[in-house]
Amino acid sequence: MNFRRWTIIRRLVQVGVLCLIASPLAGFSFFQGSLAAGELLGIPLADPLAALQVVLASGVVASAFLLSALGVTLFYWLLGGRFFCGWVCPVYLLTELGDKLRLLIPAGKLEIPLKTKGWMLLAVACITALSGVPFFEIVSPIGMTTRAIAFDGRSALLCLAGLLLVEVTLARRLWCRSLCPLGGFYALVGRVAPLRLRFQPARCSSCGDCSRVCPVAEVLVPSLDHGTEQIRSGDCTRCGRCVDCCPEGALTYCFGYSDQGGPR
Amino acid sequence: MSGAEEETKRVSRRHFLKGSLALPLALTVAGGLLTVPSLRRADARGFYLRPPGALAEKCFLGACIRCGKCVQACPYRAIRLAETDAGVAIGTPFIIAREEPCQLCTDLPCIKSCPSGALDKGVTEVEKVRMGTAVIIDRENCLSIRGLRCEVCYRNCPLIDRAITIEPRHNPRTGVHTIMEPVVHRDKCVGCGICEKSCVREQPVIVVQRTPLPQQDAYEF
Repeated sequence: MNFRRWTIIRRLVQVGVLCLIASPLAGFSFFQGSLAAGELLGIPLADPLAALQVVLASGVVASAFLLSALGVTLFYWLLGGRFFCGWVCPVYLLTELGDKLRLLIPAGKLEIPLKTKGWMLLAVACITALSGVPFFEIVSPIGMTTRAIAFDGRSALLCLAGLLLVEVTLARRLWCRSLCPLGGFYALVGRVAPLRLRFQPARCSSCGDCSRVCPVAEVLVPSLDHGTEQIRSGDCTRCGRCVDCCPEGALTYCFGYSDQGGPR
Repeated sequence: MSGAEEETKRVSRRHFLKGSLALPLALTVAGGLLTVPSLRRADARGFYLRPPGALAEKCFLGACIRCGKCVQACPYRAIRLAETDAGVAIGTPFIIAREEPCQLCTDLPCIKSCPSGALDKGVTEVEKVRMGTAVIIDRENCLSIRGLRCEVCYRNCPLIDRAITIEPRHNPRTGVHTIMEPVVHRDKCVGCGICEKSCVREQPVIVVQRTPLPQQDAYEF
């Protein structure tokens, strides 16, 4: 399929999020803040991991803040957990760029398990509780990017350039696939999310196009091999690249749970 | 699940321990070891003049999620975000009073904008704000203390005659004049930094510093 519908929509959403974060610079006031916490048309939004860290680090409980974090969690639960990664996060866009750059130069092929994200989430929680500072908000490339866009954070851009360099030279999509604790959090949410990819084994010609474009092929391929009806893994970012590239239309988005089992 | 699929799914114990436990654990431990020493004490990098309503520095660093909403809420653009050189305080809001002090808006929009409670919503009156305390750090260069009629900090103080008063005393140098000395009152000063901004000397002789902790001692009189 040449017309990459979902990829185009997704790019528009990603760029839209960037514009939203930058909009206060142009004098607009419908969005304020960043991805850690913001306000869209008067609706308070909060990053659930940031809220968790505040409670762990300082013990300060702002109920409105926690409620908005819960709302955001429910939103991403509905849309598939790591939907945040694939559609919203600016660092994902950056590492997608790194993925493109990898085609141009000899790139490293280190593989780190996807599960590491979960361990990173645990490590962030432990370090935050022990050190009394919201650890991930300090080192997060997501926070650095959004601050660099919304405010003038030039020195943070250096860190992002470093991240891109590591992505290209060491391992493909290292940060987003294996290391980001926020991705780890949304992967947990995504395991029970109703928006999933539907696979129709009868249509599949086993061409392998989908596993070539999938950023987390190690969870896509076992599901396809198993002939399962849905991709049930939380690591799936619901980016829709496989939907776009499948020449047989065997992969589509679907909403709801199928009873059939299959690999996570 | 059929037999053949079970075959492919079966993972040896060694492989599992190595790939799914050891490597991620090693990575997180290594990352933690690398980063924890760089988390310095809250006051290790000196005093940051925080926006109104900020919790005590240690608690503030824990509660601030570095979102920057207070920066966008400040109508005077007095609040800025710390850069990477601030260490653990990266992305936290602070004010450089000499460049743009806090103008103490009566509705305190920065506190209202803070989602996480790092700026305490309980602070609703500007008189209750405690960002720091103004201190005359260079008495020799203070024009008023030298006997001239400057008093610019006093005139500009939003809490004039409360946070800063003028205390006249005899000028022993000339013998016939009066020294109109500005005196900061710690219990009233909110630490907005307007005096620091308005000081006419090239280097401000009055600056906002961390509010000293009250000390209990036996020297009551």
